[in-house]
Amino acid sequence: MISRPIVAGPVAGLLLGDPEAGFWAGAVLEVLSLRQLPVGASRYWDTGPAAVAATAVFVPTGGPLALLVAVGFGVMVGWLGSWSVHLTRHLNARLVATEGRVAVTPMWLTVRHLAAMAVDLLRAAIITFLAVWALPRTAVGMAGLPRLGDAVATLILLVSASLMLGVDVRTMARDRQTWAAFGVGAVLTAILVLWLR
Amino acid sequence: MVALSILLRLRLLLRSLAIQGSFNYRTMQGAGIGFALIPVLVRLHRGDGASLAESLRRHTRFYNGHPYLSTVAIAAVARMESEQENAEEIERFKGAIVSPLGSIGDRLVWARWRPLCSLLALLLFLAGAPWWVACAAFLVLYNAVHFGLRVWGLHLGWREGHEVGRALMGSPLRRLPDRLTIPLAAVAGALLPLLAVGLGGTSGAGSLSVIGIALVLGVVGAWRPAVAGRLAVFVPLIASLVVVALGSTVW
Repeated sequence: MISRPIVAGPVAGLLLGDPEAGFWAGAVLEVLSLRQLPVGASRYWDTGPAAVAATAVFVPTGGPLALLVAVGFGVMVGWLGSWSVHLTRHLNARLVATEGRVAVTPMWLTVRHLAAMAVDLLRAAIITFLAVWALPRTAVGMAGLPRLGDAVATLILLVSASLMLGVDVRTMARDRQTWAAFGVGAVLTAILVLWLR
Repeated sequence: MVALSILLRLRLLLRSLAIQGSFNYRTMQGAGIGFALIPVLVRLHRGDGASLAESLRRHTRFYNGHPYLSTVAIAAVARMESEQENAEEIERFKGAIVSPLGSIGDRLVWARWRPLCSLLALLLFLAGAPWWVACAAFLVLYNAVHFGLRVWGLHLGWREGHEVGRALMGSPLRRLPDRLTIPLAAVAGALLPLLAVGLGGTSGAGSLSVIGIALVLGVVGAWRPAVAGRLAVFVPLIASLVVVALGSTVW
């Protein structure tokens, strides 16, 4: 579970010198990927490389606009990662196919199974490398951005995160108790936040 | 019947962690189950390479349950094998146990427990805890249930053998996802204002407006989940592409 954005982000941030910024990049990606459920044979974002890439974009620049670009970049890397997972699953099917084999020995199965895990490790490393390789282009794009964009970027991030939290609650249940819990949690915390400030 | 010693339990448990290592579209976790069962099968078929190979071939066929509850199937199959039950019976059992294990595990872990732990960690951070406390809380809380399920599953599977399906249906795990729904909804609701202020970073009237926006959007997300889910992902993606494109050409 260290590949979850909420962990991978701050760990990457720690390596880059700002774990708190990494946590922010990871936190927004975590909320956006709440409904990416790895059920059955579904395809879902590869959130580990996504969080590392987002943190690498966000840490050097900082600010809401950089966070927005970092999240967008992270989503792209996550999608790219999901496609690479799809390809390795096809490769694995050949790697561990037992049809036509005379004998399936423990050694054969162990080697094939561990090889599949090594391929997955290599896949994630390549995705992360590609993301880091693409970073300078993103940085060039952000170099001349006016501060005016910060308010808009904040609004977009706020819209995305809030919508996704609502989506998460709705996909769990539609009964009155769940709605009440959602509402009570929101209103009580809002009152508390406003009172404390 | 082979005794399930502490060492053997540990080996099954550790191997179960790698059950998805060779996940594929044909046999799904089939090779993973076979890999996890190797220590038991080698012991049972000692000196008989042909029957070991045949047994391994059977256990690398299709299987796709929830990875954390795979220990239930692994231990139950290990017991059935050690009691020399009919091979067809074992295959039928594996086919039948996949659905309940997948259904219970997916609802409990992926749809409830993981989001709850993530959101609680985020709540901690936004409430002022240092980043490492939030990370540690997520890892400890999540993995307590993760490893708890694996150990419990190993014990249950070995104890019940081919009757494990019945034991599973009567276990509290079936009702647990519903019980986690209310706390998860409350935490998601509590995050709305905190995230709004955390992202907005404003004070006074500014706080009130960003919190108001977040609350309204949270309700909109819950009201129209399909559209809102797409908007939540595509809007920042497209906006960031526009920002980078404009930044490198215009500004």
